[in-house]
Amino acid sequence: MLTINHLTKQYKGSSKGVTDISLAIQPGDIYAFIGHNGAGKTTTLKCVAGIHDFDSGEILIDGTNIQKDPLVCKQKIAYIPDNPDLYEFLTGIQYLSFIADIFKVTKAEREQQISKYAADFEITESLGDLISTYSHGMKQKLAIISALVHKPKLLILDEPFVGLDPKASVLLKQIMHTICAEGGAIFFSTHVLDVAEKLCNKVAIIKDGKLITSGNMEQIVKPGQSLESIFMEVIKDENAN
Amino acid sequence: MKTPTKPLIWLELCNIFGLNLLRHSKTKAVKKKSIIMVASYGILLLALFGYMSGISYTLVMLDLAEHIPAFLLTIASLFIFFLSTLKAGSVLFRKNGYDILCSLPITQASIVVSRFLRMYVEGTIITLAVLLPGFTIYAWSEQPSLSFYLLGILGALLVPCLPIVGATLLGALITGISSRMKHKSIVSAILSIFAALGIMLVLSQSSAQLTSTDGTINQEIFKKFISSMVSGLKLLYPPATWIGDAIIEGNLLSFLIITGITLLIFAAAAALISACFAPINQNLHGTFARHNYHMEQLKETSMLSALCKKEFKRYFSSSIYVTNTIIGPIIGVLFSGALLFVDTETITAYLPASYDLNSLTPFLLAAISCMMTASCVSISMEGQNFWITKTLPLTTKNILDAKILMNLLLVLPFYLISQVLITLALKPEPLSLFWQLTIPILMLLFSCVYGITINLHFPVLNWENEVNVVKQSTSTLLGGLGSFFFVILCMTCILFTPAHYAHLAKLGICILVLGITALLYQHNNQIDLRKL
Repeated sequence: MLTINHLTKQYKGSSKGVTDISLAIQPGDIYAFIGHNGAGKTTTLKCVAGIHDFDSGEILIDGTNIQKDPLVCKQKIAYIPDNPDLYEFLTGIQYLSFIADIFKVTKAEREQQISKYAADFEITESLGDLISTYSHGMKQKLAIISALVHKPKLLILDEPFVGLDPKASVLLKQIMHTICAEGGAIFFSTHVLDVAEKLCNKVAIIKDGKLITSGNMEQIVKPGQSLESIFMEVIKDENAN
Repeated sequence: MKTPTKPLIWLELCNIFGLNLLRHSKTKAVKKKSIIMVASYGILLLALFGYMSGISYTLVMLDLAEHIPAFLLTIASLFIFFLSTLKAGSVLFRKNGYDILCSLPITQASIVVSRFLRMYVEGTIITLAVLLPGFTIYAWSEQPSLSFYLLGILGALLVPCLPIVGATLLGALITGISSRMKHKSIVSAILSIFAALGIMLVLSQSSAQLTSTDGTINQEIFKKFISSMVSGLKLLYPPATWIGDAIIEGNLLSFLIITGITLLIFAAAAALISACFAPINQNLHGTFARHNYHMEQLKETSMLSALCKKEFKRYFSSSIYVTNTIIGPIIGVLFSGALLFVDTETITAYLPASYDLNSLTPFLLAAISCMMTASCVSISMEGQNFWITKTLPLTTKNILDAKILMNLLLVLPFYLISQVLITLALKPEPLSLFWQLTIPILMLLFSCVYGITINLHFPVLNWENEVNVVKQSTSTLLGGLGSFFFVILCMTCILFTPAHYAHLAKLGICILVLGITALLYQHNNQIDLRKL
């Protein structure tokens, strides 16, 4: 579903960025991407989502190169940033309709998708209000609905659980499982290691722009260990080296 | 507890003209853009400097040197008043950072004073650009005493106060009225446009006196105009004359009285605005949420239509964006309407032989309408939302076409009304009518595409306040002025072309404009928006 080969992205005039990142996400994977602040998680996600150009390497989405054919790739993905800055001058329903128009979602399908998810996330009554009136959590819910409206194959999420109430968090986890069960995949960054451990079947740890480890959760987290302890150990080992 | 105003003032002043960004940015591209922006402002100030030197020298040549201080003080005051009126509301009541400031142990008055001071510093820079050359020429011509220099410097610091107070009160009034309405941005934009047109009308009434009844300008009339203007100022805006007289006469007592009055008014205005600052802000930043939506039938639209609709929504959500970009087409309509009431033969008498007003109106209408197009900041206005457009399956062409289409649809009604009025006023022959219809629309198309080109090269996406983008960005300066000067250049070419080649020259210009527009359009569509 997603293949990242030797991705390198450096910001001009800055030491930040990512170097030689390689990982593969298969259909059905829920892949956690963890690391400290400024490690390069968001940079990697933005390169995958087509927001950032990169210096070398390649990113393939469902076999298509994002640099060569970005539109085909973007049709298959949905991205939600850590801080959903949405168009505050639109109402919630206008925003969802706008996204549906861009993805050419049919009238019947968009009505069905929006009704379902808006009811699930309990924001139907607010859809007629301007987004500027929404709380952070409501914007996050709207961003999630907009990401789901065209049924993407790959969901790229940056800190998706920040700002969500417990009920919405549970719902999002269920949706993630459903997408994977239907052959889709999820690639998301998080600082909440407990959630990553319970939710994901694969994990990658990044530090200072370099991938430290990646693979199946059960291979990395052995019985009797926790992802938190592994993370701290790996980071410590790297510091010692 | 004493409120620490110093950090607030620093906060307001540190990034004036983007200087803090220039100082601390480590990214070459950002630094380059900041340098270009600072340089653009520098060039504009130099142009103002040169223009004022020319006017002052002319006054010396006309033996009217004694009027220079009062004349320039008036120019500076009106200039500051006009510029400040358009942005006062959005500087004073800007949303960005308001909640954080309110949570800090500072008074509302400190916030108001710090924002006042920001406008004051900007006003003082303009004042210096206006006064310095004129005062230097006055000193060279009149050899005044030492007190002139001392009071001149103090006067330059004093002059911006009252125009800024006036503009701020007007801006606060407009914002105060609009803050009570549901569609705040549109109401604020309409009120600001009326205020700006009102100021322009007053100024044009004053300058109309410069031209005598037979349409000629001569030294006697110019002298009479200056005298009548100074007399008028004593009634309309006495402080300019008081300061000017005090500087020339070296009257320290008079100067101190004016300073005292000015500072009192400044303090009173700050106190007044402080008193209504919180309620206006609460109304302005408060939102209407009904929470009563029920799922209804949704409509499907094409991608271009969806993008264009989004562009219109974005446009009308910002009063300062509307005010600054719609005023050109409105003036275009007023200009066209005015032609119904003026003696066109008198104006034609000024033109080179064999040329009539029909030769110029297409260019004049285009120049006025192209002064500041919405497209030249349309990418910057995406701001923090740009990630949405970047992640959607859209080509650069899809995104930019919607911006160009929105801009054209926006000015189209004004263009049509202007054309009807011009046709009624000038009753052009068929070929002239063809040029009248073709040239402005081609120039508008050019200005929209050129505006996008400029904004693609000088985007500002991490802005704090819409004022930074709409009024203070490099795109605004280069986009707006570039189109205007290009049209003026084309008009000058026509004026210098022998009359019997005029139609051929117009055809050549149209082909040239179309060619440049096509090249820019192609260039724009090849830009990778991810790199912005």
